[in-house]
Amino acid sequence: MKHFFKDLTSSKAGLFGAVLLVIIVALALLAPMLHLPDPTRGDLRARLAGPTWDGLFSPGAHPLGTDEVGRDILSRLIFGSRMTLMVACTAVVLGGIVGTILGILAGYKGGFVDKLLMRLVDIQLAIPLMLLALLIVAALGPSIQNVVLVLALTSWIRYARIIRAQVLSLREREFVQSAHAIGASTLRIMFLHILPNVMTPALVVGTLELARIIIMDAALSFLGLGVQPPTPSWGRMLADGRVYLSSAWWAVTFPGLAIVLTVLSVNLFGDWLRDYFDPKTRSAK
Amino acid sequence: MNSLPVLEVNGLMRSYGGGKSLFGKRKPVIHAINDVSFKIGEGETLGLVGESGSGKSTTGRAVLHLETPDAGSVRFRGNELTLLGPQGLKPYRRQMQMIFQDPYSALNPRMKVGRFVAEPLVVHGVEKGSALRDRVAELFKRVGLDPSFMSRYPHEFSGGQRQRINIARAISLNPAFIVADEPITALDVSIQAQIVNLFQDLQDELGLAYLFIAHDLSMVRYLCQRVAVMLRGRIVEVAPTEQIFSDPRHPYTRSLLAAIPIPDPDRRRPDRTPFDVAANIPAREAQMVEVAPGHFVLDQTTQ
Ligand SMILES: Nc1ncnc2c1ncn2[C@@H]1O[C@H](COP(=O)(O)OP(=O)(O)O)[C@@H](O)[C@H]1O
Ligand SMILES: [Mg+2]
Repeated sequence: MKHFFKDLTSSKAGLFGAVLLVIIVALALLAPMLHLPDPTRGDLRARLAGPTWDGLFSPGAHPLGTDEVGRDILSRLIFGSRMTLMVACTAVVLGGIVGTILGILAGYKGGFVDKLLMRLVDIQLAIPLMLLALLIVAALGPSIQNVVLVLALTSWIRYARIIRAQVLSLREREFVQSAHAIGASTLRIMFLHILPNVMTPALVVGTLELARIIIMDAALSFLGLGVQPPTPSWGRMLADGRVYLSSAWWAVTFPGLAIVLTVLSVNLFGDWLRDYFDPKTRSAK
Repeated sequence: MNSLPVLEVNGLMRSYGGGKSLFGKRKPVIHAINDVSFKIGEGETLGLVGESGSGKSTTGRAVLHLETPDAGSVRFRGNELTLLGPQGLKPYRRQMQMIFQDPYSALNPRMKVGRFVAEPLVVHGVEKGSALRDRVAELFKRVGLDPSFMSRYPHEFSGGQRQRINIARAISLNPAFIVADEPITALDVSIQAQIVNLFQDLQDELGLAYLFIAHDLSMVRYLCQRVAVMLRGRIVEVAPTEQIFSDPRHPYTRSLLAAIPIPDPDRRRPDRTPFDVAANIPAREAQMVEVAPGHFVLDQTTQ
């Protein structure tokens, strides 16, 4: 753990990503305690008010401006991040669990499961994920559960591919043969010997997937297929604000910035995490 | 060896490849082991020696059914193993264990070593709870490790310590027979003798039989009652250890003997003509002939 932080502070990009991520997550978690204006209540007298830093701490201040019905953009961004992060994290974990289990199964057992999985990978690679997601959400109807499900569906296969490759090499390691030699069951070997040894790559795929899924979630809600109003979501804010781009630049700029910064921080941190766990790049340092 | 041997292997075969590759080309078949036969008595050590790639590890794995042999028979105390499925083999897995060459890759890096040593006892439902812990502590002591190491992870140990951990795991179920696949090759020379002594002590104490695999003859002399020499997947000579050293018959055995480092610089090596493996690939139809009591040689040259 000590080494972890030491290595992190020696990487500028990794540290930047980690700090930014911590701030974003902290804001999301603490949102109800920050005395922000209600993100769903508009103030029609203050429609599309520009950002102003005057009277920053007074109750009616809108430091990042308001949207077309006079709702506070800062508050909507912070409350929107709760939904975005929750949906994205749930999807990443769900996809991660399914993908990891199937990857282990395919890699260790081989045969039919493996062939089937690899065919599915081929098929998914041939279909644009966004199109697939749109079709499914449109068919099932937009709800949080469906969005999470669809995002997880686009995600598990990436875990499965990478975990499978790892398992193929782990399978030949002598400790796996040794487990076989003592008469351990296949289930025991897969969960006690293989799984703990693929947790690291799964974690790395997870962070990189998180960034991709945040974008996809924003895209879905931009198209109106994500979280439904009045719950704030970044993609929806972009969609609603883009009409006023010429007159009220803040209505799209800040949600866009929020997406970019979040994805950037996750990616920077994920890249560092991958290097940190990769023995090749580690020994080079 | 008049009584029932602990292990009897007959005509064991195992080949790799032969399937079709992606574009339908046939992959070449490698006969990793071909018609391998030997016996090991209770409490006996048989050395299995040969150059790298000669099929020693494959023999060890096939005997323990870590991979299924293509043909041949393996009998443990008279019981045929070749026809048993995973469930049928399980009781025999208590009796036969393997120790691997690379002590680094033989331990699960993500499992505490105490748990690793305890695993066979857990899998076979032998011990539980505090009795299990006590038994593992006892095993640690038995192989010369401090029981307080139980809660550590493999990366905290040296190669020699890791091999001791592997040995503790292998003896945990009181097996009758252990395949030791080059267990000291990867270790520092200074530690090799300690581990060999540990093998010997455990044998005296527990009445273990070993198939001790090595790539040269130097350590085999001290540990083995009999030695089998392997070349390109076949056993070319089997004899009591003194016979192998005093009266080697196969040219390959002679070349292995010549390769043993001699500590005394004044003594000259007897015969240093290099052995040409390619010219000495055992013929398919060659048979073992008994040249002295218990001393068999593959008769490949029609002398
Ligand atoms: N899993 C495997 N797949 C394909 N070929 C193998 C495999 N294991 C061993 N072989 C081949 O079988 C032969 C014998 O290997 P091995 O038993 O490991 O020899 P040794 O232990 O004496 O060095 C070698 O030619 C090796 O390449
Ligand atoms: Mg080997």
